[in-house]
Amino acid sequence: MCGIGGIVRPDPGAPVTEESLRRMAGALRHRGPDGFGLGLAPGAGFLSTRLSILDLESGWQPIQTRPGGSLIVYNGEVYNHPELRAELSRDGVACRTLTDTEVVLRLLDRDGLAALERLNGQFAFGWWEPEPRRLTLVRDRFGVRPLHYCVGTDGTLAFASEAKGLFASGEVAAEPDLLGIDEVFTLWAPRAPRTSFRGVNQLGPGGVLVWERGRIVSERTWWRPEYGATEEPAGDLEELIRDSVRLRLRADVPVGTYLSGGLDSSLITALASEASDHRLRTFSVTFRDPRFDERGHQQQVAAALGTEHHVVDVGSREIAGAFLDVVRHAESPLIRTAPVPLYLLARATREQGITVVATGEGADELFWGYDLFKEVALRQAALRDPGALERFDQLYPYFAESGVRRGPGWRRFFLEAGSADDPLFSHQTRLAATAAVKAFYRPEIEAELAGEDPLERLRAELPEAFGRWSALERAAYLELRTLLEPHLLAAQADRVAMAHGVEGRYPFLDHRVFEHSVRLPPDEKLDGMREKVALRELASTILPEEIAARTKQPYRAPDVAPFFEGGAPDWVEERLSEPALREVGIFDERRVEGLLRRCRAGRATGYREGMALVGVLSTQVWHSHFCAAPGVGAYPPETAEPEVYVDTQLELAGRGEE
Amino acid sequence: MTPAEPSQAAVRAQVRKFIEDNFLYMRPDLHLGDDDDLLGLGIMDSLGFVELVEEVQSRHGIEVHDAEITEENFGSVSAVARFVATSRKS
Repeated sequence: MCGIGGIVRPDPGAPVTEESLRRMAGALRHRGPDGFGLGLAPGAGFLSTRLSILDLESGWQPIQTRPGGSLIVYNGEVYNHPELRAELSRDGVACRTLTDTEVVLRLLDRDGLAALERLNGQFAFGWWEPEPRRLTLVRDRFGVRPLHYCVGTDGTLAFASEAKGLFASGEVAAEPDLLGIDEVFTLWAPRAPRTSFRGVNQLGPGGVLVWERGRIVSERTWWRPEYGATEEPAGDLEELIRDSVRLRLRADVPVGTYLSGGLDSSLITALASEASDHRLRTFSVTFRDPRFDERGHQQQVAAALGTEHHVVDVGSREIAGAFLDVVRHAESPLIRTAPVPLYLLARATREQGITVVATGEGADELFWGYDLFKEVALRQAALRDPGALERFDQLYPYFAESGVRRGPGWRRFFLEAGSADDPLFSHQTRLAATAAVKAFYRPEIEAELAGEDPLERLRAELPEAFGRWSALERAAYLELRTLLEPHLLAAQADRVAMAHGVEGRYPFLDHRVFEHSVRLPPDEKLDGMREKVALRELASTILPEEIAARTKQPYRAPDVAPFFEGGAPDWVEERLSEPALREVGIFDERRVEGLLRRCRAGRATGYREGMALVGVLSTQVWHSHFCAAPGVGAYPPETAEPEVYVDTQLELAGRGEE
Repeated sequence: MTPAEPSQAAVRAQVRKFIEDNFLYMRPDLHLGDDDDLLGLGIMDSLGFVELVEEVQSRHGIEVHDAEITEENFGSVSAVARFVATSRKS
């Protein structure tokens, strides 16, 4: 797991300075605290910061197959690399290192992009072919690992794991992208290729971009989720998940797990514990506010499985204290504080000497665990039979404390939330709730956005097959593409874990598990109001019955209290002051003032105020950190010696080389 | 009308205060007329409508039926006051 980046220019005579690469390495060093490497070619330069997980001695990057040959900077893991290496070896292709990075590079050299289909893992990389001056950027199927890029007017392309790497390169300056910000307050995060920064793009999940001599010659998706009826049998779920966990324990360092106390992480923990050759270490967030806390369930699972269990106890003080850092790592406005406890959890995990954790991420999207899926099923049923609306009262039990009470108004809200003909039918209630933040925009921002509709853009970009899928399959696709990848795997996973050099691994996001989930009959995912049926049945043979039968409890954290309880940091009021709001120019100071009055009075208890407060505050913090920063001067260069230094015209040189 | 029941004017005032407290704090320049369209003017979103219905039920002790949740009954301050008065009589 690493941070990667590079700059490629159309003209091989145009220099890429080592200082630029060193600045980029400095900006991405948290992703790779163990060292860094540089690579220089005519009119091109590459860098890698490394978190050592495999082949600790000789796994430094960039890796080049031979002098003058192709080169790769690579972030991630291909879990089936030993099998692929053996296959290469049978074909007479020898690898110098034991890394998955070199296996990927040699497969690419042999098979081109067809090699991607063979990779089981989570990765983002830049593959440089010096002749014909071609750079290929690739991202894994589900978008677990991030990859950002920008293209200058002269055709220069810079890429980096995180946007801050691009700002450090000097190739693009940090400025707000209003459409990207508006997507945050529509969908919870900007959708690729858009980001919250103007001129900064992100490669989408399963994306490939090919740049050649100053032009993007191809931009496509090499994998995307496909649904729909199939004749193929689903296969054995237990065997698949066990294998996925087994592969994700492959590392030359110990692997731990995150344990939320729910079904998914408990199942992964149980299987990891069985497959580990050492006592598994588990890590959990506990909340001092009992409305959010799941410690009882966590302790029950840890005790039943005999893990070495660690907890991070989180309250308002800790959330406010880490919020600035989390926004800096997320690189986008947020609408919830939920990433913050996971940032603190990753820090504690690192302090315990664990740098790789497996988690239950992805199960709710694949096996229809969220209440959103129940809502879709109920809304469809209610459109056929409007007499059975009371069942809506069972949805979203955690909304009860937010002032939105059950009853006829609640039921009507779901019944009338949107037309079944709308491709976004499944998400209309969430979209309606999230849009509350937009009420705080300045009038001139409202005017600027008047002709823009992020939902129309989304509808226009849905795959052609989308209309042939069932309503629940459409919902699942939208969850993967509008929430899991842009938000949950980013701000709530990669960014907050890699902030501390901790790598998350997601056994449910093995593409074989996804394909299995698609083949399962619908009622083995959602049966009435019983979610994740197949997974639950599997868990009942492995976990204590009480855990296997638990209803989904969404992961949330307090949103308003951390910033207004006694002892809140001074920067909160400063960032929300009238001058600061005017300076940033996105939210209206008078509208926000009404919100702040409610927050200060302890009356901001609803969903609307929580999202609005976090949205406004994070935007202010984000702007201050990035957009008001003094250009590349904010990104000091790495001054240490690189572990490896590749000059593509010369033999590979460096400490990591044989 | 029994003496304990507020007048339509009092109901209007209560509804207005609920809306001002919960929704108009983010619209400082907006003066809310009794007949203004709450949804059409963007004063309330659809989830806000849920809160208004529940407020009417809990404050005025009225049981609102699914079919009664219409803009005709809840679309403006005046509409809500009329609905409360009518529901009490029935």
